[in-house]
Amino acid sequence: MNEASLLKLNLGPQHPSTHGVLRLILELDGEKILSCKPDVGYLHRGMEKMAEKLSYIQYLPLVDRIDYLAGFFYSELLCRTVENALEIELSERVKIIRTIMLELNRIASHLLWIGAFLMDLGAVSPFFYTFREREIILKYFEKITGQRMMNNYFVFGGVRRDLFDTKDIEEFLSILPSKIKDYEKIIDRNPIFIQRTKNKGILDPETAINGGITGVNLRASGINFDLRKTDYLYKDYDFTPIVLDGKDAYSRYRARVLELSESSKIIKQALEKLKQNTELRQAPVKPIGFKLPEGEYYSQIEAPRGLASCYIKSTREEKPYRLKWRTGSYYSVNLLRKILKGTYLNDAIAIAGSLDIILPEVDK
Amino acid sequence: MFNKIFGLLTSMSTVFKHLFKKPVTLEYPEKKIIPPENFRGKPYVENCIKCMTCTKVCPTGAITIEENEFNINLNKCIFCGNCAYYCPVKAIKMSRDYELGVSNKEELNLVYDIKRGSDNV
Repeated sequence: MNEASLLKLNLGPQHPSTHGVLRLILELDGEKILSCKPDVGYLHRGMEKMAEKLSYIQYLPLVDRIDYLAGFFYSELLCRTVENALEIELSERVKIIRTIMLELNRIASHLLWIGAFLMDLGAVSPFFYTFREREIILKYFEKITGQRMMNNYFVFGGVRRDLFDTKDIEEFLSILPSKIKDYEKIIDRNPIFIQRTKNKGILDPETAINGGITGVNLRASGINFDLRKTDYLYKDYDFTPIVLDGKDAYSRYRARVLELSESSKIIKQALEKLKQNTELRQAPVKPIGFKLPEGEYYSQIEAPRGLASCYIKSTREEKPYRLKWRTGSYYSVNLLRKILKGTYLNDAIAIAGSLDIILPEVDK
Repeated sequence: MFNKIFGLLTSMSTVFKHLFKKPVTLEYPEKKIIPPENFRGKPYVENCIKCMTCTKVCPTGAITIEENEFNINLNKCIFCGNCAYYCPVKAIKMSRDYELGVSNKEELNLVYDIKRGSDNV
């Protein structure tokens, strides 16, 4: 191969289909990708360092911004870690409310991904349809929490205010199946979509596990790993993790669509439970000067983009000595090195899009 | 081949069905969205007791309290609502005002009288 015929191409940082700011340095031979080097860090805000300067209560509103599409999950993680450390027992209603909010958030996040992924592939109208449904969820969030995205709704030991007026969700859940059918009609049988995603970006289970891939991407490669099955919030709910063995971009898309209805199943059960548990008992911590006991604390959760976890090392001060986040997207970005090798440039966007990468989560 | 055409047609038919539906968007400057009751907009202060809790829970240090003045710097405020939630006498309230565009940056420095709470003393 002639060295001179190779082309170095920057995909990004500002590219319409990189969600956030991601730069991929590609080495091309013709249209074939020989190597891919992701360059991250454009959205680095120092989320972990910031924690060392702020008290736990001051830090809580900021963690929504780690992943702006699934902020509830990171709020829940920090709350959970601190509650574990302080040995706070949550009341039943708080647990149910948190489950409802988390699953609604998961649906909103997946809906956005479906729209954005199709936009990457050049189909514009599905983007508007999914955003229309997502809007219902965001409106509901605004009504309950006060803001559409940076909700800051969970507090240590409870939630900010009681959940009320669940009619909106019930209505949304009743229309969701017909909307999912609509998506399937537009997308699933579309020959252009199938050609661009079927057998593209094959992710072997072995590569996935070695690369630290979790969440939907791993489950679409045929491995049954859903943290919700062992999570204490989801203990009493009846649902089955979606496991597909297509391993390609198409089955990653299918898994997310199927997960929409699985999440709505959980919310329906949670709404039933909410009616039985009417008493909201909170265990709020005092706002100033509360400290975690000395030690190391860790907790994890199944976020829409894979396993997310929070680690706190406390030296019995008002601020953590060290706080570390594990986010799912970080590992997906790293996987691009392997998964893009040997593919063609026009598939690169489809493959990278199918992994559901959110850059603020990568750079933190 | 026939299968592919059929697949495309079903996609198109769904798109065409949506073509004749009402728009779901709102023409913003003419029609305004009324935010819900709990909305976290511009903060207002009244009857502050100077316990300084809000200055300690604010993540960005947007609040400063002087002898007779309660200052909120909206340049720094991230509208998280921590101050309103942890205020023991509920002196701080997040309003429904969301149109906060100004032509001068100084106007975003909100100054409230500690007792009366009137804006820009």
